[in-house]
Amino acid sequence: MKLPAPPTEKSFPSPLHHPRVATVIGRWLAVAVLVCFLTGLFSHFQQHTPAWLHIPSRPASLYRVTQGLHVFSGTIAVPLLLAKLWTVYPKLFAKPELKGLLEKASILVLVSAMALELFIGYLNTLQWYPWPFPFKETHYALAWIIIGALLVHIAVKLPLIRTHWRRTAEVVAESLPPAITGMTRRGLFRTVAGAASLVGISTIGQSVPAFGPIAVLAPRKPNVGPQGLPVNRTAEAAGVPGIPADWRFTISGPQQLSYTIDQLRALPQSRSDLPIACVEGWSQGARWEGIRIRDLLHLCGAPASSRVRVVSMEKGGFYATTELPPEFAADPLTLLALRLNGGELALDHGFPARIIAPNRPGVLQTKWVHRLEVIS
Amino acid sequence: MKTRAALAAFGVGFGLWGVWLMLQSLQPAQLIRLPLWLGGVVIADDFILVPTTVAVGWLVTRWSIGPDRHRTVGAVRTTLLYVGITTLIAIPLLLRQGKGANPTVLPRDYLRDWLLLEATIILAGLAVFLIQRSRITQRS
Repeated sequence: MKLPAPPTEKSFPSPLHHPRVATVIGRWLAVAVLVCFLTGLFSHFQQHTPAWLHIPSRPASLYRVTQGLHVFSGTIAVPLLLAKLWTVYPKLFAKPELKGLLEKASILVLVSAMALELFIGYLNTLQWYPWPFPFKETHYALAWIIIGALLVHIAVKLPLIRTHWRRTAEVVAESLPPAITGMTRRGLFRTVAGAASLVGISTIGQSVPAFGPIAVLAPRKPNVGPQGLPVNRTAEAAGVPGIPADWRFTISGPQQLSYTIDQLRALPQSRSDLPIACVEGWSQGARWEGIRIRDLLHLCGAPASSRVRVVSMEKGGFYATTELPPEFAADPLTLLALRLNGGELALDHGFPARIIAPNRPGVLQTKWVHRLEVIS
Repeated sequence: MKTRAALAAFGVGFGLWGVWLMLQSLQPAQLIRLPLWLGGVVIADDFILVPTTVAVGWLVTRWSIGPDRHRTVGAVRTTLLYVGITTLIAIPLLLRQGKGANPTVLPRDYLRDWLLLEATIILAGLAVFLIQRSRITQRS
């Protein structure tokens, strides 16, 4: 028995496998990738700030917007990437030539890195990690590999991209009249844009609470959780069962001060309306009440613009100790929060005290704080 | 040519930076397994997802050869595509339903929501299909 011949480039008769289509969808995908890369870079620098970089504490909702965009652009890149791969699919069966080998290798790197990046990024929003490598480091390194491979890809294809940047005459398949194949290029563009919009609309509600009710494909609902706010790490997961009767909060600077919970409540309280914006893309605004960090710094004799180490009672995890850069410590919106949305902080939200600062990723809004140390 | 050379040079530089970061932060055992996952996703899209799309597209095009079907094939094709892409996005949610790290992760009834979404897409597609078909009847 003879096996059927493998397909060749000519086995795909649709006129939509055309460089013009690849150029248009490639452009859309490039925009999504660029937005995703830049917002991702911002999030990375928020968590690993190099010495030369000063991240401002305002606008207060900046991180909420950039991280919402990061997850949004990554999610809608899924249908765009699939459409792009479909368009160029016949190329996979083109006769291999030595000249094109290097190009093929760069495309293999690009496709595999981008597909894996979108896959692990999406599963991370579900807090699902079935792979045997660390998420954060892999996600970050892959991002640079993708941008690199993408630039090489654009360099290779630049003449083709230039030729097809503007609308070119549509080639009609010889075998079938256009009325029967049905789909025109414009029709395909509309369908792909529609697919991306559909995916976008059914997930954006985790970042934009107004769309919450129709966010049927979102792993989070922004108003679900204790005190109307979702939780990433519960008190149980963090190993914080509550506080002992003799619990005290300390701040060490030029002077060392120590407060019981009632003494903290007796200090001048301020109110901040700030969102919790998580690296996983969800965010929700909330009303916080507590003591301004700059007031605490003043009390212990440190300048308002001090770098402050924040120590949590949580056990293990990467964020048990965090640092508040001077811009954030000095911002009048930054609080050692004791109350949330009109009630005492729930244990899962960091009772008895937590940090809340503007323009910061949720993982750095340290919960269960029992100690602040002025570093400089 | 200069533009292309510059793009390629920056591309290779960024790519190597990414590889260096990867070598820095992953253990040898993890570095060995990573290519398996990179290969796995390529197999998933080049040998499962795209061929499925091509095959379904071919079936739809064959079906569309019938009388007057060229008017309604658009609605059929778009509906199938939208059902496909939303289902693909929904699969991890359906698999992980009830297994969230805490009750605020995956708090929805994703099976119900997914069924509702697909029903909405199919109903909308059906409405367009019927409108397009009735137009033909009126004309003839």
